[in-house]
Amino acid sequence: MKKFLFTAIPILLLILTYGCDNTIKDEEVPVIDMTLDDVFPQYCDTVYRGESFTFKFRFTDNVELGSYSIEMHNNFDHHTHSTSIVECELDPIKTADNPLLFLDEYSIPEGLQEYTATATIDIPYGVDTGDYHFMVRVTDASGWQTYEGISVKIEDR
Amino acid sequence: MQPSNNYQRLRVVFTFYMLIGLISLNGQNTFQLTGSITDEYNHPLVGAAILLQGEDKGTATDRKGNFTFNILTEGNHELVISFLGYKTQKQTITLNKNKHITIQLISGEKELDEITVTENAVNTRKAESSMNVEVIDKNFVNSNLSGSLMQTLNRLPGISSMDIGAGQSKPVIRGLGFSRVAVAENSIKHEAQEWGADHGLEIDQFTVEQIEVIKGPASLMYGANAIGGVIDLKEISTPAKNSTGGSLLLNMHTNNNLLGVSAKFHKRFDKFYFKTHFTYTDYSDYRVPTDSISYMSYYFRLKNNQLRNTAGMERNGSITLGYLNNNFASHLTFSDNFSKSGFFANAHGLEIRNSTIDYDRSDRDIDLPSQQVNHFKILSNTIWMIKDYKLKTDLGFQNNYRQEFAEAISHGYMPTPPDSLERLYNKNTWTANVKLELPVHNIHHWTAGINSEFQNNKIDGWGFIIPAFRSYSGGAFVYDNIHFSEKWIANAGVRYDLGGINTDAYYDWYNTRQDDGSEIEVQRATQLHRTFGNFSWGIGATRKTRDLILKINLGKSFRMPTAKELASNGINYHMYRYEKGDTALKAEESYQLDVGLTLKKKNWNIELSPFVNYFPNYIYLNPTSEYYEAQQIYYYNQSKVFRTGGEIAFNYDITRDINFSADAEYIYSLQLSGEKKGYTLPFSPPLTSNVEIKYSPQSKGIFKNPTLGINLKLVTAQNNIVPPEKKTAGYSLLGFNAGTNLKIGKQTTQLNMQLTNVLNTRYYDHTSFYRLIEVPGQGRNFIVTLQIPFGN
Repeated sequence: MKKFLFTAIPILLLILTYGCDNTIKDEEVPVIDMTLDDVFPQYCDTVYRGESFTFKFRFTDNVELGSYSIEMHNNFDHHTHSTSIVECELDPIKTADNPLLFLDEYSIPEGLQEYTATATIDIPYGVDTGDYHFMVRVTDASGWQTYEGISVKIEDR
Repeated sequence: MQPSNNYQRLRVVFTFYMLIGLISLNGQNTFQLTGSITDEYNHPLVGAAILLQGEDKGTATDRKGNFTFNILTEGNHELVISFLGYKTQKQTITLNKNKHITIQLISGEKELDEITVTENAVNTRKAESSMNVEVIDKNFVNSNLSGSLMQTLNRLPGISSMDIGAGQSKPVIRGLGFSRVAVAENSIKHEAQEWGADHGLEIDQFTVEQIEVIKGPASLMYGANAIGGVIDLKEISTPAKNSTGGSLLLNMHTNNNLLGVSAKFHKRFDKFYFKTHFTYTDYSDYRVPTDSISYMSYYFRLKNNQLRNTAGMERNGSITLGYLNNNFASHLTFSDNFSKSGFFANAHGLEIRNSTIDYDRSDRDIDLPSQQVNHFKILSNTIWMIKDYKLKTDLGFQNNYRQEFAEAISHGYMPTPPDSLERLYNKNTWTANVKLELPVHNIHHWTAGINSEFQNNKIDGWGFIIPAFRSYSGGAFVYDNIHFSEKWIANAGVRYDLGGINTDAYYDWYNTRQDDGSEIEVQRATQLHRTFGNFSWGIGATRKTRDLILKINLGKSFRMPTAKELASNGINYHMYRYEKGDTALKAEESYQLDVGLTLKKKNWNIELSPFVNYFPNYIYLNPTSEYYEAQQIYYYNQSKVFRTGGEIAFNYDITRDINFSADAEYIYSLQLSGEKKGYTLPFSPPLTSNVEIKYSPQSKGIFKNPTLGINLKLVTAQNNIVPPEKKTAGYSLLGFNAGTNLKIGKQTTQLNMQLTNVLNTRYYDHTSFYRLIEVPGQGRNFIVTLQIPFGN
């Protein structure tokens, strides 16, 4: 009996843990490649009021990309570091009057490991100029997320 | 070694034992001594310890307060009878025939400090329950004291804590936390905002007299929420008749310049008594073994290795009024627990912020972001003894008032709020429990009871996470303890609960632009009414022999989904995610099989407690690949979950003075269905082991019971993760501890010292709140606790 137990239990445990572990889990977050030449906006870039600009990012993932979102909000209070190692020169702190706020979600076609995201954003005439954050967030199909926070300026041309 | 040598040695040993046996048997008659131990009112005391002085023999009373020594030699025997909360008695018995004796113990609080006394009662409690139970007392707390109750308790195998800095923590039992662990004070469940990852437990660790931890589903006795386990704090000691006394406790931590003082005072007349206590603790920002933190590509320098704005304070007090006579005992406790603490200033949750606040001007002030909680309680516990029936009633009212403050900042469509009150939760809870224990009849001991609870939770502040709600629950249970024999005890019980929750509708206080260009106040929560009914049950058996205890227990527990799980619908700006509840969630159920094995030999013992656990519908906050208002969507759903693991503890007295102990805990979790099939559960503690060598020399003079210990905590890497977690490397922490009782005059002052994280190791605690932003655990810390009793 004892012998049986001593052999049966480890074998059972082995089967159990094997049965559990043989599903390959995705443990890698997607990547936003900021080093490509045509990425826009880059850290410390400027976009112009009354015009539109086209952002462009390249996402990669080891398994499958999910979706992405773009957020643009003011940094008039200098609240956050961008994710850049480069420090951009900021205007003096000021209170917002009519700041630009842009929030949008975008899908990525199913089954892709690489994707170039691009779309056009209008900057109306009336918005405040100054320091802004351009946030780009991307998920993969498993729910891992990565993001970049890019310091940009809105100015008049 | 030669086989013949082995054989010879064996023969010598055998002969030696035979000789001893012959000598001791030679010419001596043996008799049986039986007895009953009762309290002042002739009620049997269960688990009282009876030791035969100088004979290395001992036993404990059974459920009827009886004990038996089968083979005792003719002549004099000195009995030492002790029990938690009672004065130890010595009695000499002369045996020349079989004898039965009855001994009455007199209550007296002072004996609480006698470690040996508690141990015996504790062992009986542990042995008689088929569940996996740990019982600890205030001596454990004093010698393992950390920044908060759960950080102190996480030294126990199977218990861990989710730390929010150095002074706040949440309980975790075998990897389950949040609303899956019930914390009770004198059998009344503590009700606060358990769902929040940064909400610590509002309990003063200095009031602890005894804590019972049940590892595993315990809904049968405690109702919903006890699905992962229970931490029951028992503050039930009664001072000795006509006594006046108390104690003063001083506490100091060097890492965060913590200073704490706790004073207790009690007085008992004949039948009336009162107890009171007051604690005040204040601490600065805590130190970590690094001068900078880099998270994503953010980089913060730390001043003096201190985590900005993690300072805090705590102020607690209580008054207990009690009365007891022959068949009635009742006490009424008023307590208030207030704490205020800051959050790490550079990142609130996952949000990185620059601020104009000059955090570095002082390491003791609490700036924004911060939290402030007041927990007020009135608890009443009463026991009526009516013939052999025991009726217990527990009544409670508690108010949890939690405020969370953050700088007023616009987020997404939300404009800059008018003030810094981000969230306010004001929850009132009323509890009423009645329990009736029937007299022991043949081998049966029946207990039946009902529990009821009503909660009213209001909200305020500009950050919406959960709607206001009212919830109620009622349950009725019956269970039977069956003593087949001294060796075999079985138990079985069943319970039915019915509960409901009503949530209020919630609309944003600001406008959000819609796709059609219109602007509206978005409705975040709808009015919702749900009811849940559920059966829980448990069945188990214990086999107890002289040196072996075997246990097996199978149980089913459940919990109702929380307001957050059902109705949350908004962006959590601490975690930077959009959290969405599911109004159709079913009650969460859990089935667990527990096995326990304790082997006790003369100078060593080993305890093994594996478990297997299955959730058919575990409620899980699933991170998706979708976005809402530019934030990642997390939604609540239910999946099948399998968990297994357990604890092992080994204890060995190398010599009379040197003790070696080692324990380990392991948890394996797996989601069997849903979007995260194949992944583990979040906040899974890694394989953890503690090894300790303790030197407790015999001593005379003013140093009584001195101990000196060295301990090592070994934690393996946690590579089994689920989004959005990060893999955490393994680490080891070295610690020293020393303690002694100082006999000055009549009183015994207790001094305890600990040096934790001796090597100032930089490590990451996988279940810490600050783990995700790469903040390491607390650095080297020297802790001193001095407890000075006074009184007659």
